[in-house]
Amino acid sequence: MTDYKVVGKGLPRIDGPAKAMGKAIYTVDVNLPGMLYGKILRSPYPHARILNIDTTAAEQLPGVKFIMTGKDVGDVRYAFVDTPRYPADEHPLAIDKVCYIGDEVAAVAAVSETVAEKALSLIKVEYEILPGVFTVEEAMKPDAPLIHEELLEGTSAWEDWGVAQKKQQREAEINVNNMSGHSAISFGDVEQGFKDSDYVREDKFELKATAHCQMEPHAAVASYDPVEDKLHMWLSTQGIFLKRFLLSKTFKMPIGKIRIHHTFVGGAFGGKIDLFPYEFCAAYMSMKLGQPVKIELEREEVFMATRQRHPMVIKVKTGIKKDGTILAQDIKVIADNGGYRGSGPIVVFLCHGFSFPIYNVPNYRYEGFSIYTNSGIRGPQRGHGAPQIRFSIDSHLDLIARDLGMDSVDIMLKNIRHQGDLLPNGDRLNSCGLKECLEGAAKSIDWENKRMQFKAQPQEGRYKTGVGISLCAMFSGAMYYPFASAAIVKMHDDGTATLFTGAQDIGQGSYTTLSQVLAEELGIGLEDVHLVAGDTELCPIDIGSFLSGTALVTGSAVKLAAADAKRQLLECAVEVLGVDDIGELETQDKRIFVKDDPEKSISFTQAIQTSVFKKGGNPIIGTGSYKGYSETDRYPSLAKCKGLFTGAYGFAAHAAEVEVDILTGKVKLLKAVTYHDCGFSLNKTIVEGQVHGCVSMGAGQAISEEIVLEKGQLFNASFLNYQIPISLETPESVDQLVATYEPTGPFGAKEVGEGALAGILGAIGNAVHDAIGVRVYSLPITPEKVLRALKN
Amino acid sequence: MEKTINLTVNGETRSIAVDVNQTLLEVLREDLGLTGTKKGCNQGECGACTVLMDGKPVSSCLVLAVKADGKTVMTIEGVAKDGSLHPIQETFNQKGAIQCGFCTPGMILTTKNLLDKNPNPSLGEIKEAISGNICRCTGYVQIIEAITSLAKEKNARGGV
Repeated sequence: MTDYKVVGKGLPRIDGPAKAMGKAIYTVDVNLPGMLYGKILRSPYPHARILNIDTTAAEQLPGVKFIMTGKDVGDVRYAFVDTPRYPADEHPLAIDKVCYIGDEVAAVAAVSETVAEKALSLIKVEYEILPGVFTVEEAMKPDAPLIHEELLEGTSAWEDWGVAQKKQQREAEINVNNMSGHSAISFGDVEQGFKDSDYVREDKFELKATAHCQMEPHAAVASYDPVEDKLHMWLSTQGIFLKRFLLSKTFKMPIGKIRIHHTFVGGAFGGKIDLFPYEFCAAYMSMKLGQPVKIELEREEVFMATRQRHPMVIKVKTGIKKDGTILAQDIKVIADNGGYRGSGPIVVFLCHGFSFPIYNVPNYRYEGFSIYTNSGIRGPQRGHGAPQIRFSIDSHLDLIARDLGMDSVDIMLKNIRHQGDLLPNGDRLNSCGLKECLEGAAKSIDWENKRMQFKAQPQEGRYKTGVGISLCAMFSGAMYYPFASAAIVKMHDDGTATLFTGAQDIGQGSYTTLSQVLAEELGIGLEDVHLVAGDTELCPIDIGSFLSGTALVTGSAVKLAAADAKRQLLECAVEVLGVDDIGELETQDKRIFVKDDPEKSISFTQAIQTSVFKKGGNPIIGTGSYKGYSETDRYPSLAKCKGLFTGAYGFAAHAAEVEVDILTGKVKLLKAVTYHDCGFSLNKTIVEGQVHGCVSMGAGQAISEEIVLEKGQLFNASFLNYQIPISLETPESVDQLVATYEPTGPFGAKEVGEGALAGILGAIGNAVHDAIGVRVYSLPITPEKVLRALKN
Repeated sequence: MEKTINLTVNGETRSIAVDVNQTLLEVLREDLGLTGTKKGCNQGECGACTVLMDGKPVSSCLVLAVKADGKTVMTIEGVAKDGSLHPIQETFNQKGAIQCGFCTPGMILTTKNLLDKNPNPSLGEIKEAISGNICRCTGYVQIIEAITSLAKEKNARGGV
């Protein structure tokens, strides 16, 4: 297993030189001849009816080429979630109503951004302001104003895929206003479990909305070619095939008439997968004008009107035996998804999905609601529900441990799941290094010695330190459109190969790791792999770089494609080398060897020539494909939390050491430890980079990051006021791979880039409690909250 | 209103007609096609648009192009020589200091300025130097490692 030549090594990324030299082209860098520039007019009100839009003055401005409003587009709907139960509720441009500050009202294309901006100021919109709701508590009240009072048709974009099989009635029994999604599941007997417990505790936690802060602002370039009747697009996105599908549905265009071209993506973190109005409008205006249109959002728009992480209120109630065995758990989640549904029904499903793989709880009840409010839209963000639910559950367990005078690590160890466990939905943990992760992280943070919980003497002075620990789990892909990834490996005369993959490298290094998989399987060097990626026309379908499916799903497809090419090469070599079976051969350095007699060999070049001459001109092209989850053809039920979720779970344990200044309330992360189980590390440097990035983002969201809203108005839409970690806040960072082997993943690999964020929040929260002796129940743990907690 | 400025960019002196309200960033990206300089926020808060003007790092989105008249500017496109990577670029790639790459041009130019002035920076000086360059992908760990190793190398060689 350790004998690999290419995978497992910390090889430099293949796109590194282009990025280091400033030569990598991102969507914001795309510049086409005759290109026009678009801008979007946004609602200044959180909830209002549009009475009239007057574009006359704007149309007369020299340089303005096109102005579009909701009336031009009509009742076009799309959304990230689009099922019979949860039909699409977003419009490219508002038709008669706006639901949050930033909601799109009109779009302009002009000869320059300056002219387009001036035109926006000349558009007169008459609004009738409606009462808004800004918290989930307000929104759920029986007399609350309804944000989406329209009854939507129970149809779905997915029906022709046979996935959504029948229309379902909305759940009449759940009478909650402004509900956009609901998930519920239970197993065992929760009430009996509480009765049988020695100790029962309930806690409530709160988490604020956070921003992705991708360094590249959202952007789109659209160029419609009327001669070939084809829409060409360059998008800063994580999933070109999902985008193409949604564009095809909204424009009612054949999917083959839309081509998404490759660009590098300047960070995504979940926030670049939904279809956005600016993308639709760029395409629409380009189709009307026959000229390219580019729309690049301002940083303020990225904060306000793309996506945010769901703020949540989470209640956890746990019944536990004296020996630390968890008997029952009842979890209630309320997620605020903003003015449109976004990923509301998914995130409340995923909060269960990332809760139940960690602890074996025999009696368990989960219920989650996603709720509309008149705030910005919430969608997927790195970990998608995992940070919120993991913070809540592990903070809660730490509180129970403190109540009972127990060590929280002992409670965790007693209840965690292990390799081979069958989860209640039917997913099996074929690989699970949770125990080793937990033990390793505890040791690395010096848990026994540094934990203040059991120290007799309180700490002296202004600065208090403490340690905390938390666990997390994440899917490695799942069943969602396009449900699979495929790959093509094309051999060249010189024995090198080109990989065709629809995967997007959003910075996570997939171009490099996928190329490594190809090289290892085929028996060539990484430098022998050429890459064509991220283009819907040139590349086979790909599941997309979200829900952490790339390593396992696309990686498996690439491995199969490489194996297919290799088999064809070996079949040509059998005769030449005079062996009976391809099993007697192996490949290395672009050559084929007889295993028992390595002196006998031929080059890939010779094998390809043999194939061309003797096998009907076959130049050798390998293909491979892999499903989002090989065990099932269905996506799981979001509402019932039933069905198979994912082929493999990635795991991690985080430990944090913090220093709290009790004079100012400021929390400083001194040390962050991550022990993670990604099965097998395809590229050590890249995996470490994923872990460090996760830790930094999670630490920011634990300590300083918060979208500040006041009646739907965003107050800190800039990097100066929305405080993401800067270099000065970099803690001592330890990351350690706990090697397991995931049998369904390429070379044993599975997820690493998302789950490793989720545990650090709880670890920091618990460490703060350890340091100051009191709990802060809401994130981020700001100086004000620390001081308030100390005062009480 | 337009004004003609003389600008030496990556060793080449150019005479460019610019609008008086155009920023250096816009002129570099749009007029000169040097898209390696990135626009992350256009407010001087993220550091993605960092270039070296007369050897000093500036946020090019905050510099009016007319103020750059007569100045010498180095962008990321001018760092590699004869098609081969500068040691900073090479080390960034080797050490995993590049992920999405959007902050990379600014980060590399800031690093160049640091190491040109201070070949032996302490960990604190490294963190301080890049504190105006935001990176969301790496958590800075591998960037700091890359700069640390460059400083060591530079000392061993007695300067680049």
